[in-house]
Amino acid sequence: MSVREQMRKGTTTVILLNLLAEAGRPMYGYEIIQELEARSQGYFQFKEGLVYPRLHELERQGLLRAEWRGEEGTRRRKFYTITEAGRRQREKELQGWKAFSRHVDELLGVESGS
Amino acid sequence: MSDGQAGFEEPIDRLLAGIRAQMDLDSETEQEVLAEIQDHLEDAFAEARARGLAEHEAWAEVAARFGVSDEVGRAIQAAHAGWGTADAVIAAALPVVCALLLRWLAFAPDGTALGWPQLLSRPAFWVVALVALLLPMLKFERWRYALATWAFFWMLTVLFVALPAVRW
Repeated sequence: MSVREQMRKGTTTVILLNLLAEAGRPMYGYEIIQELEARSQGYFQFKEGLVYPRLHELERQGLLRAEWRGEEGTRRRKFYTITEAGRRQREKELQGWKAFSRHVDELLGVESGS
Repeated sequence: MSDGQAGFEEPIDRLLAGIRAQMDLDSETEQEVLAEIQDHLEDAFAEARARGLAEHEAWAEVAARFGVSDEVGRAIQAAHAGWGTADAVIAAALPVVCALLLRWLAFAPDGTALGWPQLLSRPAFWVVALVALLLPMLKFERWRYALATWAFFWMLTVLFVALPAVRW
């Protein structure tokens, strides 16, 4: 597994929480995946099917809330919204990520932002 | 499904069947999971077709980006399988608590059973009835669990009132 792939797997939770927190609105699975790929400019290639188990895990952990929406006669979609617990977890994971990347940069002698 | 997606039904069915084969969840959860994934595949296919890909090219791209159905099915099963300890305790304890509360509500201290009018006029009875319905529904967000507990509650009520001799 490449370094990029390992990093993507290890950060999927915080990436999903961050996306939904910043979006500030409910989003459905395909929309989330499209947005992730647009934001990463294709750098991270998500196996799209594997995003759903992660969304379901976050829902079961109470970090996301899911709701089926749709008018009669139109396609119903499952929309995800970040919960307060999810926002707290996002903050925690973002802090952890910043500390981790700073220490790795120091170990590798890489200047942050370079 | 639109005309542009007509040739898409068979491969999507195969992919969904592959996912379903790896899942062993309650039917309501399975249906929800498969409906969500079907939505995804249909969106992705429509988007690929809108970019001008032929049907077989669009499907090949959708399938490649989606991943292997067995792997996705196993991951979904792992995400859903097994309740947390708190969930399991609530699910197992609720019927027992219902039975104990009903026994306390339906029988006088001397052991004689209350009749329907006396039982139904007790606010505590309706509190227990509401808790038996709302707790599983709010906790598990499944009408099925709530209705099962509700049915169990009323079955016990009828048993205690109509056949008091069967109480333990």
